[in-house]
Amino acid sequence: MLGRPAQIDKRVVLYEREGSPLSKIMKELKFLLAVWKANLLSAMEYRAAFLSQAIGMIVNDFLYFVIWIVFFDRFKDVRGWGIHDMYLTYGVLASSFGLVSLLFGNAFNLSEIISKGRLDYYLSLPRPVLLHAVASRMIASGMGDFTYGFISYGLSGYFTWDGLLRFVLATLLAATVFAAFLILIQSLSFWLGVMSNLSALALNAMLTFGIYPITLFDSYAKLILFTLIPAALMGAVPAEFIRSFTWQTLAELFVGAIVFLLVAVAVFRLGLKRYESGSAIQIEV
Amino acid sequence: MKLQVIYLCWRRNKTMKSFKKYWAIFQITLINSLAYPGELIGRSLMIIPFMWIFYQLWKVTYAASGSDVINGLTLSNVLWYLMLAETIELGRPPLARTISENVKDGSIAYLLNKPYDFLLYQLSTTMGETIFRALMNATFGGIVVFWLVGPPQHPEGIIIALPAILGAWVLHFCVTAMIGLSAFVVEDVSAFMWIYQKLAFMFGGMLIPLDFYPQWLQVIAKALPFSSITYGPARLFVTPTTELFINVMTLQIIWIGVLAFLLTFAYRRGVVYLTVNGG
Repeated sequence: MLGRPAQIDKRVVLYEREGSPLSKIMKELKFLLAVWKANLLSAMEYRAAFLSQAIGMIVNDFLYFVIWIVFFDRFKDVRGWGIHDMYLTYGVLASSFGLVSLLFGNAFNLSEIISKGRLDYYLSLPRPVLLHAVASRMIASGMGDFTYGFISYGLSGYFTWDGLLRFVLATLLAATVFAAFLILIQSLSFWLGVMSNLSALALNAMLTFGIYPITLFDSYAKLILFTLIPAALMGAVPAEFIRSFTWQTLAELFVGAIVFLLVAVAVFRLGLKRYESGSAIQIEV
Repeated sequence: MKLQVIYLCWRRNKTMKSFKKYWAIFQITLINSLAYPGELIGRSLMIIPFMWIFYQLWKVTYAASGSDVINGLTLSNVLWYLMLAETIELGRPPLARTISENVKDGSIAYLLNKPYDFLLYQLSTTMGETIFRALMNATFGGIVVFWLVGPPQHPEGIIIALPAILGAWVLHFCVTAMIGLSAFVVEDVSAFMWIYQKLAFMFGGMLIPLDFYPQWLQVIAKALPFSSITYGPARLFVTPTTELFINVMTLQIIWIGVLAFLLTFAYRRGVVYLTVNGG
């Protein structure tokens, strides 16, 4: 019998050692579930603090929204965009923000982890560095945002059972865009070092532009809101999709989520090649 | 008589010395805030997208209303009003969070055992941190608004509003220091801060001038301290009248008196409850 070429041999060995791509994904998914479970148990250790943060955030979100109620009570609509659209947009934005806070809390301070050399810990473990790093923290107040989003949707006047399914799907896709945007911006820390101000600026811009009625913006501004600061993919487009199903909006959300995620992962990996640290002793809790 | 004069001179000297101490703390913090100009500028850039989006919102709203003046305010007035309101809001250092972190990591022990009054020390440092932050925000915000709607109708309004801006910072200090002091009992104060911030947004007229609120809500909002923190100074800037100046300053002084009393009381009670871990 002829021997197998060396290249194929290598692939077979790798396949046998690491399993099929599907089993690899399942393995990482199991790991991710274990990290989330550990985060939840850790947060629930201080139940009162967890609940106070979640309830406090629901009150906080409601109080912020009251301003919009006052605005639309006085001015009725902004180029056809009314209070019901605001409920919907605010709902999907709050839920997706909350989801990222709960599941990928470190995405908000990835730049700090990079610039302070705290990636050492994740690099030393046999797990995907980015996934492990961003999933290692749960922000308790995210539960409040996540819950408030559903309340806001319920109050929007657009509630239907199939709409609820679209709301869940839109929240997942908007959360993917948001997490990818955070990772992308914060990964610039590999080149720029400490960049807490730029991170805060980008985060605020994303949330502010996401909440405001999309009808305010001209075509140039809309181009920015779909690309540079993809706030439209976190607010207006998911809201449009929840209101009424169209393949076009679903495709926009899917393509946006996948493209941003791929770009974010690519930029992180590229930056990781430049990573250096002072080997400081770090404790990750 | 002679003894009384000596006593008065001694008291005056003591007061002056005390004032010099806090003035020195203020100066040191002020200079420190300039140590990292890049950070100072970077933080202040946040006002630019805010002002731009406010312009988009109010431009459309005024166009839809078909009127140049709504409740006595033009589009230019609203934009300059919001610029000052944002400057006051964004210029504030996160005092409550700082006190809370000091309590959590135990470093509060090093502040409480020094020969100064804890609250006056915090006031001096807060004011020192605020000045350049606010100046930078006003500069960037002012440039954007000037570019969008032209100069303010009453440029002299900024001088008339200046005492009210200082009063707003003192008032804000009283509230945030009180929230910070609650860390003596509950340690984490973030939930209180979010709620205070949103109340300030709503009743302070941060996104919508209070003049656009329904009448009943205006009456409530204008009586609360939040309006003295943002609405009062910002409205004074765009429509500087003697009557408004007297109203704003009177309300501010009343609220500063009430909240300073409550703050002192809360501090004295809070120190008793304080438990420091680590440090």
